[in-house]
Amino acid sequence: MSNTNKKAPARTMDLVERSLARRYGAEKRFRFYGVISVVIGVLALALLFWEIFSAGLGGFRQTHIQLTLKFDPDVLEIADARDARQVQNGNFEGVVRAALAERFPAVLDRGGRRDLNGILSIGAAFDLRDKLVDEPELLGQTRTYWLLADDDVDTYYKSLREGNAFTARTSEARQVWIQELIDGGELRTQFNTRLFTSGDSSEPEMAGILGAVVGSLLTLLVTFILSFPIGVAAAVYLEEYAPRNRFTDFIEVNISNLAAVPSIIFGLLGLAIFIGLFGMPRSIPLVGGLVLTLMTLPTIIISSRNAIKAVPPSIREAALGIGASKMQMILHHVLPLAMPGMLTGAIIGMAQALGETAPLLMIGMVAFIMDVPNGISDPATVLPVQIFLWSDSPERAFVERTSAAIMVLLAFLVCMNTLAVWLRKRLERRW
Amino acid sequence: MDNLNLNQHISHQFNEDLEHLRTQFLEMGGLVEEQVTDAVRAIETADGSLAEKVRRTESEIDRRELELDRQCMMVLARRQPAASDLRLVLMVIRATADLERIGDEANKVAKMAIALNEDGVSPRGYVELRHIASGVLKLVNLALDAFARFDVDSAKIVVRDDSLVDQEYRTAIRELVTYMMEDPRSISRVMNIMWALRALERIGDHARNIAEHVIYLVHGMDVRHMPFKELEEQIEKRNGNKK
Amino acid sequence: MQQTLEQKPPVSPKVSAPPMAPTFSIPEPAQMPVSADYKTVGVPLVENAKFAMRDVNVFYGEKQAVFNVNLDIGENEVIAMIGPSGCGKSTFLRCLNRMNDTIDICRVTGSIQLDGEEIYASKMDVVPLRARVGMVFQKPNPFPKSIYENVAYGPKIHGLASRRVDLDEIVETSLRRAGLWEEVKDRLDAPGTGLSGGQQQRLCIARTIAVSPEVILMDEPCSALDPIATAKIEELIAELSQNYTIAIVTHSMQQAARVSHRTAYFHLGKLIEVNDTQKVFTTPDHALTEAYITGRFG
Repeated sequence: MSNTNKKAPARTMDLVERSLARRYGAEKRFRFYGVISVVIGVLALALLFWEIFSAGLGGFRQTHIQLTLKFDPDVLEIADARDARQVQNGNFEGVVRAALAERFPAVLDRGGRRDLNGILSIGAAFDLRDKLVDEPELLGQTRTYWLLADDDVDTYYKSLREGNAFTARTSEARQVWIQELIDGGELRTQFNTRLFTSGDSSEPEMAGILGAVVGSLLTLLVTFILSFPIGVAAAVYLEEYAPRNRFTDFIEVNISNLAAVPSIIFGLLGLAIFIGLFGMPRSIPLVGGLVLTLMTLPTIIISSRNAIKAVPPSIREAALGIGASKMQMILHHVLPLAMPGMLTGAIIGMAQALGETAPLLMIGMVAFIMDVPNGISDPATVLPVQIFLWSDSPERAFVERTSAAIMVLLAFLVCMNTLAVWLRKRLERRW
Repeated sequence: MDNLNLNQHISHQFNEDLEHLRTQFLEMGGLVEEQVTDAVRAIETADGSLAEKVRRTESEIDRRELELDRQCMMVLARRQPAASDLRLVLMVIRATADLERIGDEANKVAKMAIALNEDGVSPRGYVELRHIASGVLKLVNLALDAFARFDVDSAKIVVRDDSLVDQEYRTAIRELVTYMMEDPRSISRVMNIMWALRALERIGDHARNIAEHVIYLVHGMDVRHMPFKELEEQIEKRNGNKK
Repeated sequence: MQQTLEQKPPVSPKVSAPPMAPTFSIPEPAQMPVSADYKTVGVPLVENAKFAMRDVNVFYGEKQAVFNVNLDIGENEVIAMIGPSGCGKSTFLRCLNRMNDTIDICRVTGSIQLDGEEIYASKMDVVPLRARVGMVFQKPNPFPKSIYENVAYGPKIHGLASRRVDLDEIVETSLRRAGLWEEVKDRLDAPGTGLSGGQQQRLCIARTIAVSPEVILMDEPCSALDPIATAKIEELIAELSQNYTIAIVTHSMQQAARVSHRTAYFHLGKLIEVNDTQKVFTTPDHALTEAYITGRFG
């Protein structure tokens, strides 16, 4: 026994050295698992971005066709271009048809003519009307314009450029005309401004996300205005005033549970209460905001409470110690110090609300709405719901628009998170 | 409270420092006590070599005084002692000075012994000398004993008996003065005895000082320059408070 | 000489040091029982009492932290409270401006009077009370605001200065009294948290005296500071004691000895001894006090 004890120091080192290799091996493996997990995560993200970007970038370009148009008062049936009613009822489609007939004089039969007219969007006529409204002296003159092509032409042209032409919705005759236009330099893609300036439409080439973006912003505005003050007030009460008893424990547990409730339940709640009980109209941002307020409140309360808890007790003692009342202590010291944390929590909650679809489906914000909403009581839809609607549409041209809309949504989310980080950095003070 | 618990500090080093102070002081005390004994014996037996030895020990006592002072200073600087510890250190500083002075006085007695050896034996005074010397020795012994055991009762006895020694000293002086008037030829020799008596009386006073320091150490009461009666009353009162 | 010493040991056997342990053993001081109805020794009560506490008990829930304390704090007196950790001295101190109110389970019984006014009476408002009885804490805790704002905050909320000029004057006077003015007068807009630890603590003292309190409570004000900063605070305490009544809790016995007029020793929630500081540190009345201040335990 004593012998081994004497040798113990030397033997300990031997044992340590023998186990070293094993320990280092284990450590390496442990690190490797971590690296693998990170790689999987990064790959998934890259795949998502690749998928969305590759499909969605095309959505930002739109095919246009060059045509020489004559604003013929006879065809338009407009005598005075300054008369809004006459312009409103003007036959701009006739002008477009005439121009197309002039461009392709060989097409004479009725079926061929109808096919030919179809290569331009019906939106082309609306564009012409807008131009005449802007410039009344155009009446009777001849101009050359790039006009909006139909979504089938758009799809065909983009697929043609990529090398595998999608011909299912493009007739042989049209393919010939399009080729002719391409050869004449009369067909090209432009930046798709309409995507950002118009509301939804059943015609893909005319559909835009402005309505959805405005709807989202209005909804978020309502959500923020309601949930932030309510959430902060609740957090302040629970942290600073509420006595510790079973009842407050019960409330606390339920707030945590509420944060984990599936969002569609909030939609059902909103449907039952705001629409069913209070009789509010469907599909309006006000109701959407109310529902999302219910949903984000737990998040904001929890993060605000944590921010308030993180304020050092020494600051509270200092304030109380020189005779500040409890309210003065909270307003002058606790809230300013907790503000960055609370704002960050609120913005994260807002970001969550921005991406929410399910509860809004329940309160009817899934309707097809072409107009851009002007207020919180106008029917509207929101970005994620718009994405959902488009992804459900059969037209092939909606596929790239769906991805483009997703990119816009992602950009908004990134902006909000950046804002959260910036606010935290900006407001955070060391003590 | 009468116990000082020197060995119960959290810091063992502190315990050792204080313990060291105490033993050093007692060793020095032992040395001084021996010096007094030797000096008295040197006079009584007219032993010149014993007297010489006393004079040599003097330097050793001075060295120990310096050493003790240095250690006390170190404890003060390093430990910032409080209450009983502080009193112990203060007491050692003061009592060391007294011990050194006792050594000096013993030295004087030894000098007188040598002088008596040279001038010839004094005709008178030995009885008084022996009597006072034994009293003073007892005082020194008791004072050191009181310190060794932190014994206030012994210290009180020292304070009380010192006044007896003083009385005896005055009586002896009066007697010797009378003698000198009767026989002027013996004046120089009797004067030597008187000087020795004077030194012994001083030793008694220093012993009393040490005893007073012990009372200060144990009770924290400064009883210097206090009549014995008042001292006793105060100690009574304090003990009464305790119980 | 050397030979003689060697032949005969210098210590005479009669007075050789007796072994210490058997002669001086008493029960461990820390375990010495203190009866429930223990009565404080020394002089807990004084003539010109600013604070008068009678039979004060403090409970944390079921647990009693302070037992039957009777103590007066005199006008313009510096009283130090010492004792081992957890002896209730801080708890007791925090009763004096009702800082314990912030702890739900804390309960105080007995009578605490400030100038004859019962501070735990229901009609007593804690806000003016805390303006009268200021507090300086263990960790320097300036607000994360400018130096000026830190000092001006108290006067502002109490409405002590209506005009900016008056406020400026209060800030300057307070900083001067706290001995900080010369160091910060050029950077009053700098954050208070940017100062050094000692300066922060003096800023906290300036903040406290800005509301002109009558009593200043200090809860281990130097425990987080270096010796130089500590010395400056102690100097400041000595100066402030001319105008204010000060109660200071400290772990440093030397500090108590240096700054205070009277010292109170707490042990396991009981006030064991109150005496003049000089007496406590040379000849304490109670064995526990003695044992604590000489480093026998604690």
